[in-house]
Amino acid sequence: MEFNVLIGGEGGQGAFSVELELTEILTRLNYHFFATKHYMSRIRGGHNFHMVRIADHPVHALNGGKWEMIAALDDETEALHKPDLREDGIFLSRERTKEIGAESKKLFGEIRAANTALVGIILTVIGVTPEKMAEAAEPGKAEWLKKSGDFAVRWGIAGAFPVSAAAVCPAKFDGNQALAFGALLGGCRFLAGYPMTPATSILHYFSEAAEDLPVHFEQAEDEIAAINMALGASYAGVRSMAATSGGGFALMQEGVSLAGMTETPIVIAVAQRPGPATGLPTRTEQGDLNFILHAGHGEFPRVLFAPGSIVETIELARKAFDLSDRYQIPVFLLTDQYFADSVHVIEEEEIPLDVIARECPVFDETYKRYRLTGNGISPLTFPGLSDALVKLDSDEHDEEGKITEDPELRKRMMDKRLKKMGLLKQEAVLPTFCGAMDAAAVVLCWGSNRLIVKEAVERLNAAGLSVCALHFGQVYPLTPAMIAPYRLEAKKRICVENNATGQFTGLLKRELGLAVDHKVLKCDGDCFTVLELYRTLKGLLT
Amino acid sequence: MEPKIETGWCPGCGNFAIRDVLEKVFADLPILRNKIVLTSGIGQAAKMPQYLDVNYFNGLHGRSLPPAVGIKLARPDLTVIAYSGDGCMYGEGGNHFIQTLRRRLDITILVSENQVYGLTKGQSSPTTALAVKNDLSPGGNPNLPLNPLALAVTMGAPFVARGFAGDKEHLKALIREAILFKGTAVVDILQPCVSFNKINTYAWYRERVFKLERPLTDRYEAIRTADLWGEKIPIGVIYRNDEAPCREIKEIFQVPLTKADVASRLHMRCVMMR
Repeated sequence: MEFNVLIGGEGGQGAFSVELELTEILTRLNYHFFATKHYMSRIRGGHNFHMVRIADHPVHALNGGKWEMIAALDDETEALHKPDLREDGIFLSRERTKEIGAESKKLFGEIRAANTALVGIILTVIGVTPEKMAEAAEPGKAEWLKKSGDFAVRWGIAGAFPVSAAAVCPAKFDGNQALAFGALLGGCRFLAGYPMTPATSILHYFSEAAEDLPVHFEQAEDEIAAINMALGASYAGVRSMAATSGGGFALMQEGVSLAGMTETPIVIAVAQRPGPATGLPTRTEQGDLNFILHAGHGEFPRVLFAPGSIVETIELARKAFDLSDRYQIPVFLLTDQYFADSVHVIEEEEIPLDVIARECPVFDETYKRYRLTGNGISPLTFPGLSDALVKLDSDEHDEEGKITEDPELRKRMMDKRLKKMGLLKQEAVLPTFCGAMDAAAVVLCWGSNRLIVKEAVERLNAAGLSVCALHFGQVYPLTPAMIAPYRLEAKKRICVENNATGQFTGLLKRELGLAVDHKVLKCDGDCFTVLELYRTLKGLLT
Repeated sequence: MEPKIETGWCPGCGNFAIRDVLEKVFADLPILRNKIVLTSGIGQAAKMPQYLDVNYFNGLHGRSLPPAVGIKLARPDLTVIAYSGDGCMYGEGGNHFIQTLRRRLDITILVSENQVYGLTKGQSSPTTALAVKNDLSPGGNPNLPLNPLALAVTMGAPFVARGFAGDKEHLKALIREAILFKGTAVVDILQPCVSFNKINTYAWYRERVFKLERPLTDRYEAIRTADLWGEKIPIGVIYRNDEAPCREIKEIFQVPLTKADVASRLHMRCVMMR
């Protein structure tokens, strides 16, 4: 049983507040849900809509079918979304939401009470009692919530679509929150950034954490400064991150190259949005894979993670700091607006809580920052801890860290840095498989499409189609071992990506020699829905 | 003094004198050598850290300051000195110069000021005078020169000074004072470029520089003094404000982050759509 509700309105009318309050309360009431949104690059006006899928089982994507309920805070909601309402669905027209506003204001003297009333109506529709609601209400809002049930009763919609609360001990996370949380677990203590949608909430979570934890957030004057500050902090001994979106990352590229040459650990989170240039600032795309893969002049090793679930995001963000530190390389965390702005429910027991502590080895005055070693990894220490002086140079350098133009030494230093790639491949994060090993077809995907593809494949299986899915949380480097167990060459191969050209499809071919039979691409700024993918894939499979 | 180690500088370069001064300053400072970090960008001046026995972060062109900010915020126990030329500090890194002064950190900014791009062989820098001719400005530099001292005072830097590579004793005292000053200290150091600047030579400066008797404490008087150029060029502390509070920095390095700390970040309110 599930219930899909859309709340549409102009920016500033309260649709986002309704989503926030609803998802808070649903979590407290132990509901499974998934929430995401479609919003414009403006503060007031326009048309935004918030979508919440509430179910008696875990849900992690937009269903894509008809809505059980639509609440219109503006006129556009009716025109745009009412055609997608179920025949027996509930439509709260502009007149009704105005009525909620007027009555709430009259009763409680506050227009904000209308948002809470709408939350209460939705909860009443799925069968939550006034008593339960009051227990889960936000401070000072219990009365507002309880009273809202009256509207539902008056309009005969109370309990129209009952959903039972089946989560045990739920925690909710949006994608960026999971990323920031994972970074803390990875020992990240320093974040520098310049606000840019959809990465800004990562900055926000860090600035909040910095209020009472030993971490620091610095708002930089631009993205060039941000990455250089993070590299400075990393050099000084603190695990560091920079977070931005494609346009900001374009400015950070010289810093990526600097990290490559100076072997300074850094994690860079890139929350993608549609480009080129300013593109669609508040929509989603997976269009920057090739860009990030090739960012920075010169040749040096790197790792790209693109997690597709909350737990995977926490785990890979955590691992990014460990890898970055051990190999002294830049590690990237790719996410996108869809994942950044979507809220998932997971069970609390799934959340890892172990923090990685950084070791600070101490050396004597003979220390050489770029000592040539068998595996290319030089011992890393930080200034001011011992007699060891730490000399970092963006020029080609000798073992001590002094500028050199010696061709032999240049070659040895290049070999040293690139040698790490072999070791990195050995500890590549394996992809996540779902379905039957002997399936006739496989859907390949990366990043935020993981759980949309998973549900679409499960529905295809239920419809009798033989198909499985393979999701890559590590998108670079790709290694033969990642795909070896699945006999992909014997299956029909379909790659699903949120971009126009199939960048990951190209990477699979280049790195693994794996050709794809069909590409399912989308670049209109929206995410896939389960039903949309189900239909497209079904067409390709039959 | 003859160079003790192989450097990338031209014979007679003003940077040698500055290096000698820095060596002496570091030797005399009440600060352990291993606690000093120099950051620099790219250019002839930016090679300075390579020829001194200290920790250094010799980063990218224009970017001596952002790493300095990161280092100081991560490790307030370190003495952080950014060193670069006028092109790196005021041109490619001009915005970082302005914004770093706003951050109220206890760092020192030293600038080798030769009014020319040395490493790229003689083009206009942000401080090149109007109408000076060079390869890329055969008709004469069309731009007005930037006044780094007036800019620093305007931006609220609490310690702003000018030194001269031709007066090592004076420069030594100045740099020592700047490093020991609690707050952001800027020292612009007149450093003749013997290869590409045939105007602002040692002799040219010697005829013009005069020492300020005491630090100025009035901002407007300081700006007026910073504006002096041409016949009379002041050196010394143009502005000193001991009342300007430095930003407090929280200790984060090696302060443990516990499981409980992280768990406290669960069940936070979402702040999406930004």
